[in-house]
Amino acid sequence: MKRRSFTQSLLALPAAPALLGQEIPKIDFSVPDAGAEPVPHFFTAPQLAAVRRLSDLILPSINGTPGALEARAPEFLDFLLGQSPADRKALYRNGLDALNATARRQYAKGFADLDATQADALLAPLHKNWTWDAPTDPLAAFLREAKADVLAATVNSREWISVVSQRSRGASGTSIYWHPIE
Amino acid sequence: MATTPYDVLIIGSGASGGMTAHTLTKLGIKCLMLDAGPAFDYEKDRSLRAVYDLPYRGFGKPGRFPHITQASEFTAAIWADEKQNPYSYDPKDPYYWVRIRRIGGKTLVWGRASWRLSDLEFKAKDHDGFGDNWPIRYADLAPYYDRCEPLLRVSGRKEGLPQIPDGVFLEDNSPVGPAVARFIAEANKRGIPTTKQRRAQGTLASSMNLLLPDAMATGNLTIVPNAVVREITVDKKTGLVNGVNFVDRRSKRELHAKARVLVVGASTLESTRLLLNSGIANSSGMLGRYLFDQFYVKNTVQAITPETGGGTSYIPRFTNLKSKEKNYLRGYAVDFGGGGTPDPKYFPLYGEPLQKELNEHRGRGFNATTMGSVLPRYENYVRIDKTVVDAWAIPSLHIQARYTDNEFNMAKDAMNTLAELCDASGFQLLEKHDKMVPPGESIHELGTCRMGDNPKTSVLNQWNQAHDVKNLFVVDGSSFVNGGSQNPTLTITALAMRASEYMAEQMRKGDL
Repeated sequence: MKRRSFTQSLLALPAAPALLGQEIPKIDFSVPDAGAEPVPHFFTAPQLAAVRRLSDLILPSINGTPGALEARAPEFLDFLLGQSPADRKALYRNGLDALNATARRQYAKGFADLDATQADALLAPLHKNWTWDAPTDPLAAFLREAKADVLAATVNSREWISVVSQRSRGASGTSIYWHPIE
Repeated sequence: MATTPYDVLIIGSGASGGMTAHTLTKLGIKCLMLDAGPAFDYEKDRSLRAVYDLPYRGFGKPGRFPHITQASEFTAAIWADEKQNPYSYDPKDPYYWVRIRRIGGKTLVWGRASWRLSDLEFKAKDHDGFGDNWPIRYADLAPYYDRCEPLLRVSGRKEGLPQIPDGVFLEDNSPVGPAVARFIAEANKRGIPTTKQRRAQGTLASSMNLLLPDAMATGNLTIVPNAVVREITVDKKTGLVNGVNFVDRRSKRELHAKARVLVVGASTLESTRLLLNSGIANSSGMLGRYLFDQFYVKNTVQAITPETGGGTSYIPRFTNLKSKEKNYLRGYAVDFGGGGTPDPKYFPLYGEPLQKELNEHRGRGFNATTMGSVLPRYENYVRIDKTVVDAWAIPSLHIQARYTDNEFNMAKDAMNTLAELCDASGFQLLEKHDKMVPPGESIHELGTCRMGDNPKTSVLNQWNQAHDVKNLFVVDGSSFVNGGSQNPTLTITALAMRASEYMAEQMRKGDL
């Protein structure tokens, strides 16, 4: 028995009703971000400013490839963190607050307003080699997570994929999706 | 509607249930198969989608699968929902219980690695004095391996290595790139053998397409999806099992199904959970005991190779083969390969310098993952936790499992060996570690309903038949006595085939 006929018998699906010979046109739908701006809910204004600056530093726009800001990675992370478990929320909030507090202490301004050299000094943990065990220092632990999240939120965005997939067929960002079943 | 009398009722449609149905139906035996998951159409119920079209951009719904690291937003629908299917463990000893509830079970997405066990596993006690032997030896199972490999379309290369006996393979002579070839040469120079992976081939290599269609074609198999089995029922007069009570997954309607013989192949821990909830087959007190798996050290080494070019290969167990030569018993295997780009996390950079580094190392990644033997110990067990019930009010398991110095020492040895091989191969090591994933995460859980010759120390006999109840068979990984470092699925299918043919013969003779 061929697999197709086997699965059909298993499901016992009734034949789809005929639509009186009509051909139903296929409509291409879009995603919410294509026609609207995300509204941040999770980060405070200083935290959002810091995460935007951090995202731009982690993955800036390079040679016409959209960076984290163009991909709206900070706004996406605001949404994602808002739904995340408490320990992950705390990791981000405490990490961003620590970045801002250190920036104010050392440079009398928020992290978002630091120049690249000043910011780099605060991001020193990102210059340490990755280890299987997460760092015990909360700021280092936050920066490690944020680097991974900003990169993923960017390279998984429509903005990034629409540009990169033009250059490389392997960067289409598509995969097989298993539909939920009742 | 009058119910059809069935000869055999099979619980579970994965590797073991599928092979049981495949074997029995071809022998003319009428089978009813119940599976807790839904049926689905492999083509219609899956589609190509862009990651940015998913609600969480590929991150998945936060907190949905705290114990299933394999789940992605693309595959979220196939993994057993953790809220509907809870379990408990001591927070000091986390256990990752990974399940799939769909027709086909875990064979829908398994890694397909298909290795034979050898007498190093079947007669492990004879070899190193620890634990117990299986009641069978390699020669007993070899004819069934011979028949399972073609069914699963296993590819591989014959090497004559006694620790991974050769089989009936689709010959794999695929080349490897120069970096991987150098790694292999360095390993071989040190007496460490290598071979191609042995894997089931094809777009899909599941009981869903390789086993169940043939069984259906006999006209002897009825499959009922969405059947969550609550308990096995017993005829009080005879002490034999006579059927199961099950719940319809969607409506929660309660039903009872009957059969002459019952086969449980619901996956290692689900099968044991069902027997414990049914209060049967446990005169030995061993039901639930001797839980083990294979430990994994994922990406034990991550390196950069001087040149591009990929290819994958495998190191089978090579330690303690002839005598005890290490500070641990038994041994580990390694999956390794080159190509691809290392994860950005391995580079201590960000911004443009990181992207530049990634571009420079594109196609030059190398990594190796260790899979080690775990000693079966009485102290590692499952029991029913009546305070934790699933969405169908069925009590779930409390799982107690912990690795010991034997596994820790083995992991450390693997890390050091692999790092040395990378160094000797001229690779730049980015990271090495010996941290095992939590027990269970390898999805190779085994034991808890083990076989043996002695009914006082085992649950099943050598035919996967319960010592206490002769018309009850348990055919999945729960029957394992020792597991080795080899992935267990091929052995599970061979055991299921062997048990099924024995069962059929006993039925023919009227002994069942």
